[in-house]
Amino acid sequence: MNWTKRYPGWAMFAAMIGLLVFLWGMAVPLSAAPAPIGPAADQFVEGARITVGLTLIAGSVGVVIGVLAGLGKLSRFGPLRWLCDSYVWLIRGTPLLLQILFVWLAFPLLMPEGIELSDFACAAIALSLNVGAYNTECVRAGILAVPHGQVEAARALGLTPIQTFMDVVLPQSMRVALPALANNLASLVKDSSLAYAISVVELTMVGYRVQAESYQPIPVFITVAAIYLILTTAFTTLTAALEAQLDVGQKR
Amino acid sequence: MNGELRPIIEARRVDKRFGAFHALKDVSATFYEGQVTAIVGPSGSGKSTFLRTLNRLEMHDSGEIVVDGIVLNDNLKNLDAIRREVGMVFQSFNLFSHLTILRNVSLAPMRVRKMRREDAESKAMSLLERVGLKNQAAKYPVQLSGGQQQRVAIARALAMDPKVLLFDEPTSALDPEMVNEVLAVMRELAYSGITMLVVTHEMGFAREVADRIIFFDEGVILEDTTPERFFANPEHDRAKSFLSQVRHGY
Repeated sequence: MNWTKRYPGWAMFAAMIGLLVFLWGMAVPLSAAPAPIGPAADQFVEGARITVGLTLIAGSVGVVIGVLAGLGKLSRFGPLRWLCDSYVWLIRGTPLLLQILFVWLAFPLLMPEGIELSDFACAAIALSLNVGAYNTECVRAGILAVPHGQVEAARALGLTPIQTFMDVVLPQSMRVALPALANNLASLVKDSSLAYAISVVELTMVGYRVQAESYQPIPVFITVAAIYLILTTAFTTLTAALEAQLDVGQKR
Repeated sequence: MNGELRPIIEARRVDKRFGAFHALKDVSATFYEGQVTAIVGPSGSGKSTFLRTLNRLEMHDSGEIVVDGIVLNDNLKNLDAIRREVGMVFQSFNLFSHLTILRNVSLAPMRVRKMRREDAESKAMSLLERVGLKNQAAKYPVQLSGGQQQRVAIARALAMDPKVLLFDEPTSALDPEMVNEVLAVMRELAYSGITMLVVTHEMGFAREVADRIIFFDEGVILEDTTPERFFANPEHDRAKSFLSQVRHGY
């Protein structure tokens, strides 16, 4: 998509507005559709909102986890490195479905009395931890790609380690990590469907219910797939534009 | 130079090893305000390592370094204070590649000196004018030639108003036709009275601009003298053979 490269600011704006307009206005064309879609339009809208909500929450928390754990993996402090290594090893070595079930069923037993997590919160936690582990590796690679001389230059100018990281290392490592992070975000849109296992009524679950009531899986699942495609397109446009935005000062 | 000299950097018995390699062997030297010192010597003689210990880009194993009265040790406050006063220019420029030239120069004054953006940027513009690159301010480092990038790096170091400027082989990574534009800026700085320590292979520059020559060999200072005496009549054989090898340079 060339226009995202040429006008990254506009592309980001358009993708965000497009996503909002879609979530807001999709009920109109859906309810105009013939049965079994039309009568269930509100359910599709609600399901899409849950899917986008899970994606946005787990996507942003996952980036924060990725940056922190990515830094932790590069730390000079052994125990912290070990902790971050173990986290990535654990999450990448077990199925996402198991992680979701674990948070849903095992966390309540481990948590202090009186704190109750909604199904949605459990799904959001599990997805955040999952995508965070994959992001960790991307962020680590990004940080390693920043030339060490620039860190020395920043420190020699008197910038503190935190200023050096925020002003010099992070922006450049993000540029390197972004394509991989975007990939993880696109997977997340679809992985959020596993939340159906803990009775979160997201988009796939909606499709399953509507076809079970109407006995018409073909139009129902085509509708679900179309909504997913629109969502992933919006997210990839967003991240591609962000990539173009960050791609300044680089050799092409 | 008139009146008494005020010491700005004092290194006493600085020792440094990289594994089995003994990079600096009990090196002592005092540098005075306003003095331009050229540090020369063969590759691997310890001259760059010595320069890098002065703002703790390398940690020395033993000995003492005092910069402007502040002892360089593990106290981070001291380290930050010293780094604010000591500017450094690197062989490979090390400009921040995601920032414009203007931001490269104005970043540290804003972050470290807490200058307002307008003030930092107007100061950056006047420094860029001084190194002849005012019209490149909006570009990114990759769009500039090596010589231009190194001039920006000098402006970036000057933006912190350092008391001392360290140059670590500032022209070694440059194409030959770009060496002179960087040396011209450094010459102008030297005559402006700023304290400079320059690790260099440019013997012509060292002879013309430096007040003092330090010759490193195998981790020790073999000669510490004036340019006139060093180039005309070096005391040690190692210095003689070094000079005969680089003699075409001046």
